[in-house]
Amino acid sequence: MKILTTDPAREPRKIFYKRAVVDLKSGAVTYEDVPCRNLEDVLGGFGRSFQDLAARHITRAYCDENPLIVNTGLLTGSRAMTGMRTYFSGYSPIKAPQKGAPTAIWSAASGKFGAKFKWTGLDELVFENRAEKPVYVVIREGRSGPLVEIKSAEHLRGLFTHDKIMRLQKEYADAHFAAIGPAGENWEEVLMGAIACSTENQLRSGEDKSRFAGRGGMGSLMGYKNVLALVAQSKDKLAAPSDEVKRVNLNVIKGGGSLRLQPVNRGGGGGTWGAYDVMQPFHAVPVNNFRPQGNDLPEKLFRENVEKDYHIKSEACFRCGITCHNNIHERNADGSAGRFLAKFDYEPLNLLGTNLGIHDAGQAAALIHLCDNFGMDAISLGVTLSYLLSYNARHPEKPLLNGATFGDFPKIKELVERTGRGQYPEIGQGSMRLAQSTGEPAYAYQVKGLELAAYQPETNPGYAWAIAGGHMSMGTYGMLIREGKTDLDSWVQAITDDKLQIVGFDMIGLCKFFDIAKGIGTEMVRTCLRSEHGLEVSAADLRTAVRRAFLRGLVLELRQGYTREEYTLPAEMFDDPNPHLKVPRIGTREFFQELSERVWAVFEEELDEFLQEVGAAE
Amino acid sequence: MKVRVKLHGVFRRGRFKEEIRDYPAGTRVVDVVRELGFSDQLLGTVIINDMHADIEQELKDGDCLMLLPLLDGG
Ligand code: SF4
Repeated sequence: MKILTTDPAREPRKIFYKRAVVDLKSGAVTYEDVPCRNLEDVLGGFGRSFQDLAARHITRAYCDENPLIVNTGLLTGSRAMTGMRTYFSGYSPIKAPQKGAPTAIWSAASGKFGAKFKWTGLDELVFENRAEKPVYVVIREGRSGPLVEIKSAEHLRGLFTHDKIMRLQKEYADAHFAAIGPAGENWEEVLMGAIACSTENQLRSGEDKSRFAGRGGMGSLMGYKNVLALVAQSKDKLAAPSDEVKRVNLNVIKGGGSLRLQPVNRGGGGGTWGAYDVMQPFHAVPVNNFRPQGNDLPEKLFRENVEKDYHIKSEACFRCGITCHNNIHERNADGSAGRFLAKFDYEPLNLLGTNLGIHDAGQAAALIHLCDNFGMDAISLGVTLSYLLSYNARHPEKPLLNGATFGDFPKIKELVERTGRGQYPEIGQGSMRLAQSTGEPAYAYQVKGLELAAYQPETNPGYAWAIAGGHMSMGTYGMLIREGKTDLDSWVQAITDDKLQIVGFDMIGLCKFFDIAKGIGTEMVRTCLRSEHGLEVSAADLRTAVRRAFLRGLVLELRQGYTREEYTLPAEMFDDPNPHLKVPRIGTREFFQELSERVWAVFEEELDEFLQEVGAAE
Repeated sequence: MKVRVKLHGVFRRGRFKEEIRDYPAGTRVVDVVRELGFSDQLLGTVIINDMHADIEQELKDGDCLMLLPLLDGG
């Protein structure tokens, strides 16, 4: 970034980001210093990419005009704790209205690729058109700025995500990598391809410990473009943090925000995996396609039970003290860590474990490992599989595909493998399309075409307005269980104001664990912006920029053809409520109808401006 | 007074799952939390007799108190 002001909210045009546009058809690369239009542009991530996507009218995800935008946030590669994020944006192959065009989406990954990318001097890379043959792309720091080169990727074809990264590591020292797997290469049959970003730990240990940009099929779009991997090569550029940033970082580790994610031996809650323990007392852990049975089966995957047989390591991305990864290894006879099996984050573990009727840690780990190596979004894959298993349980006389049902590990494993290879497009295309083909959409746990993360929709009507899938973009997921909120006023306020602020982290380059309770409009973020970039931004300006970015996302959905009726929740939740969930029942049609009217009434007051901007005004 | 205390998640480590415990009248949830030695920052949800409650709430004889760690998605 070239920064010629201290006031990014009022003088955004005095801030320039470095963009490279790669025409994959011709091989031409152009570099520009682009002046920012507003604070969203300055912050980066989807705040910027959605403005560029809004300028394009895309009716099919797989077309030359749909770009793949790779960018970072203002604090990616900075000394602020968690400043690791890379964002991948484009029109999604998987998220689409029932009838209509694909929808703009972004997907974020940690690991160290984002920081390395930023340290090459580039802020944004835009891929146009598609390459005729498979390529990978190297971004390095040249003498007078970043350089982008396209190389043949014939030798990477068909390899797993991790194997691609390991191959490239042999050729590129001091580099980090982003790679798709076979799923992304089979983009026609698999719309839920993910992108794996390398971690230091992975490159050092040789174990497949990537972090993933999973949501929205950005790996499939990358596959369509015939780009199999990205290499970001540069020196590390981290000086010692200033005293202010040091204090912020300490507060991130010791303060309330990240404590639940800290390792258990440091007094923390042990990563997102701990959500099992919190939701099980309410019987709210999704089981067998979001139908908890009121029994204690989910407890089999509690940490205290898994650690009887496995070795658990708490690890982190480069320099991050939150240490949120819980990696499961086999246990050697002497108690030390044996072979690495998988990461146990809550969503992959639940959606590829308990929610498929798999309650064995080794089996769940095997499915997560396969999903990661084929390069699929664990949420989309897990939810689509659970739909299929549920269909088969309801139709034993005419089951689909290999006839798998809940808990049948060998058959479920076969489904994952064959989906990743492109042999089961019924699954690879996601739950909405599969449910359209069966004619039984009521128990497809998706909203607006994107599968729900592992929180029961009964506990979160806010899902309906999330613009990038569940809790990642509508932080209302804990409101009922954590706060006991059952009144409409609280829900309207949360959906239309406070909780949407969670998407701010997908602009600025930080993980939401930086300050999960408060969003990016906090003193800690302001301190980092001042110290790292000499920028003075008020908390109110940050909140406004995040809100504007969210509303732009919402109108982009409407422009692509969503009807108001699609802003809803899976019908089963309304019509066949689960008797085992021990939470107050706010998921009635009446409650939701009133909530919907009030939420739209608030949003509508502000949407006009954005409807004009994205060219959707009547 | 007697209060049934149920702990969940990491709060159980080195403690107990469920116990009936004796407290003097006027004991609040926060007093129980301090006595058991958790960090308030890790405490996410307080339930008394199946209802969400506040950390400052006073307990009564025969109450069932459930303490859960923070829930935040990942
Ligand atoms: S919070 Fe977790 S995912 Fe984010 S940078 Fe730290 S260790 Fe990585």
